[in-house]
Amino acid sequence: MSEIKKIKNLKEFSTSADRFEGANLLCPGCAHSIIVREVLNATNDDLILAASTGCLEVCTAVYPYTSWDASWIHIGFENGSTAVAGAEAMYKALKKKGRLKQPDRVPKFVAFGGDGATYDIGFQWISGCFERGHNMMYVCLDNEVYANTGGQRSSSTPIGSSATTSPAGSTSYGEKKMKKDMMAIMAAHGAPYVAQVAPNKWKDMVAKIQKGFAAEGPVYINAMSACTTEWKFAPEDTIAISDLATDSLVFPLYEIIDGTKLNITYRPKNIVPVRDYLGAQGRFKHLFTKQYEHILDQWQKNVDDKWTYLQRREEASV
Amino acid sequence: MEKKGWDGFEIGAMLRSFDGAARDIATTLPENRPYSQSNLFKASVADWRIEKPLFNKDYCIDCQFCWIYCPDMSIIARDKKMVGIDFDHCKGCGICVEVCPTNPKSLLMFPEQKDEEQALAGWPKKEKNAKAEEPKED
Amino acid sequence: MADTMELLDIEVWDGNMAASQALRQVQVDVVAAYPITPSTPIVENYANFEANGYVDGEFVMVESEHAAMSGCIGAAAAGGRVATATSSQGFALMVETLYSASGMRLPIILNVVNRALGAPLNVNGDHSDMYLGRDSGWIQFDAYCPQNAYDLNFIAFKVAEDHDIRLPAMVHQDGFMTSHTAQGVATLTDEAAYNFVGEFKPMNDMLDLDHPVTHGVQTEEDWHFEHKARQQHALMTAVIPKIEEAFDAFEKLTGRRYNLVEAYDMEDADVAVICMGTSVETAREVAEEMRAQGIKAGVVGIRVFRPWPLEQLAAVLKNVKAIAALDRSSPHGTVGTLFNEIAGTLYNSETKAVLTNYIYGLGGRDLTKAHLVSIYGDLKANMDAGKPTTPLQQYIGLRGPKLSFF
Repeated sequence: MSEIKKIKNLKEFSTSADRFEGANLLCPGCAHSIIVREVLNATNDDLILAASTGCLEVCTAVYPYTSWDASWIHIGFENGSTAVAGAEAMYKALKKKGRLKQPDRVPKFVAFGGDGATYDIGFQWISGCFERGHNMMYVCLDNEVYANTGGQRSSSTPIGSSATTSPAGSTSYGEKKMKKDMMAIMAAHGAPYVAQVAPNKWKDMVAKIQKGFAAEGPVYINAMSACTTEWKFAPEDTIAISDLATDSLVFPLYEIIDGTKLNITYRPKNIVPVRDYLGAQGRFKHLFTKQYEHILDQWQKNVDDKWTYLQRREEASV
Repeated sequence: MEKKGWDGFEIGAMLRSFDGAARDIATTLPENRPYSQSNLFKASVADWRIEKPLFNKDYCIDCQFCWIYCPDMSIIARDKKMVGIDFDHCKGCGICVEVCPTNPKSLLMFPEQKDEEQALAGWPKKEKNAKAEEPKED
Repeated sequence: MADTMELLDIEVWDGNMAASQALRQVQVDVVAAYPITPSTPIVENYANFEANGYVDGEFVMVESEHAAMSGCIGAAAAGGRVATATSSQGFALMVETLYSASGMRLPIILNVVNRALGAPLNVNGDHSDMYLGRDSGWIQFDAYCPQNAYDLNFIAFKVAEDHDIRLPAMVHQDGFMTSHTAQGVATLTDEAAYNFVGEFKPMNDMLDLDHPVTHGVQTEEDWHFEHKARQQHALMTAVIPKIEEAFDAFEKLTGRRYNLVEAYDMEDADVAVICMGTSVETAREVAEEMRAQGIKAGVVGIRVFRPWPLEQLAAVLKNVKAIAALDRSSPHGTVGTLFNEIAGTLYNSETKAVLTNYIYGLGGRDLTKAHLVSIYGDLKANMDAGKPTTPLQQYIGLRGPKLSFF
């Protein structure tokens, strides 16, 4: 196995040479890019990358330009996972047959997909890859909406969010359901490592990515990606909004090892009310009216219940 | 880039990141990489900006918050020091300014046309009542 | 290192076994596959080879045909020999990725065991899936019997992987009629088979870690047209000469001759039936019988469906007076595909043959000799009249009132 890159602190981390280039077409303030950097910079090993159709893909490989300093492939919306799994299978075959060009180097295989590509259209493909046990990492850039196509709801879109296909109106508060629990589903595959991360908590995130890279088998990373365009906040506030998400426990940071053992990895010193997080974003603006404010209470209850559940799971250690 | 005719490019719309072999990319800084013309490193999004961040090194503590949270690889860090901004790739989002913990901030947004010397000359002073945020790494 | 399998000079194999043996012999690096009738035995046989040490590449059983081709694309882009197999509904599920494979110029070999497309669901052979693939940018070979299914796999790998080509290729065979019908198949030794195709030579491979590549970019109106034109240029100009070269080399090795267009009794033919798959062999028998009755009958089999062998077909049909295009797929709203292709082939030529269209054999319905006798009868009448004496499109072998159009 290859050596784990030493990242003691941010100063040391800042000596990394990015393998993801600027002048891409992602929106100013886009968290996707921050996540990609933290993933890629967590290792000095060679990388074989894939992306499903989505913001990251359409913004980083528009002919004749590429943002990627490592081999990268995109096929379609649903199959970024299987694209990288196919490459990983070829790596194994050529290794066995002694035909690798650089036999002493062991690349990491990583697929990126948005929540639409992960929770919805690519769900089956990811499940297949995990069941088969490819040695790969799947990173979901979870911005809770089909941002690339202009803000349609996905099964990651949370309750009360106004998306273009679940708009808030005079008789609707927007999306009706809480998001799908991808973490539990992926853990149920028996994957060696499943983790939820947020780029604002970089140390927690990079440690998890490194754990994921060290694991043998398929690793699922659910990365919260605050979306300035669709969540409707100012681009400079990406990290501030992300802090509200992690400190309100809307995005609790935890990991599940071998499909069972759950560890909470971040406990905010001061838990922020969920309404502070919701109130900072235009997509929830309508909830702050008399008609729909009951959804705010439901939100808080949902988050509290989930946090209680996670703590019990952690305590139970099963 | 020149818009070539149908017989003027690689098959399969394949792009190469570098010209020739590029070893140890993960430990090679941009200035030493053999970037190809297709690499976005060679492109610029400077014209996206309405405002630009300017850097005042007098107050910088090299905490690297701006480096880690820059979505556009535009904070130039060398030898653990913040050395400047890559204005070809900066889109002017302003995250670096928001996350800067010093008092006064070492990075501030200015109109795109603002003269740097003038900006530095008029840099705000330390706010007496506000204490600098503790740069805690999490 | 995989074990060598000792084969008899002639093995009794069905089309599926013939295809799986070819995949084993060329030492495919990655097979990502999903089972579907009637191609399932290709994958099962291959799994058996792997389980018994005859395969040392990766064999990945995925969760759908779409994933099978997605995995093949990832594997091919990584840089190695890649193949899979499918049929019908599974082929239809793959279609999105077929365009990706050809657009990315990845030489994947897909064995398509032809089967009808539902609804209503049907597991038997017709050419609906083959026709569905015709605009996908793949090379399409058509086998008429297990021997062809075996041989054409070697030719497909050799052509597809050539650096002047770098296009994926399908090898079609008829569901059940070829895939499940055991016949004598003349074999190659493992060594001879592998050497014919040669070692895989990577190109733009993702696993060349010193030369990172980006595959599967976005192009819009400013670039897309040029990329598609480049792909068409390769398919139209480079493939046919390369296939002919491979056919020549294969004949040298085995004595078995393949042609882009297979012409039987066509030297002096007045009337010709043009078809694909197992029907070619039935038509050949009937043509001989017609000749005994004084009708100069011939048969044309399309061996390479894409790229369409326009010039070669026009040459074969030069002196024919009446032609029947037999399509084993419901054209749903127009004339059959072969009718259209042949009309397009002959329209600007000297040949002024009368051309008619027959829809037959849907969902595995037999094409009998009696059907062909009646078709040749129609052709004779058309030739004598110098114009169609029947509707342009007729259904044959169908119950109920006679169905015809145009």
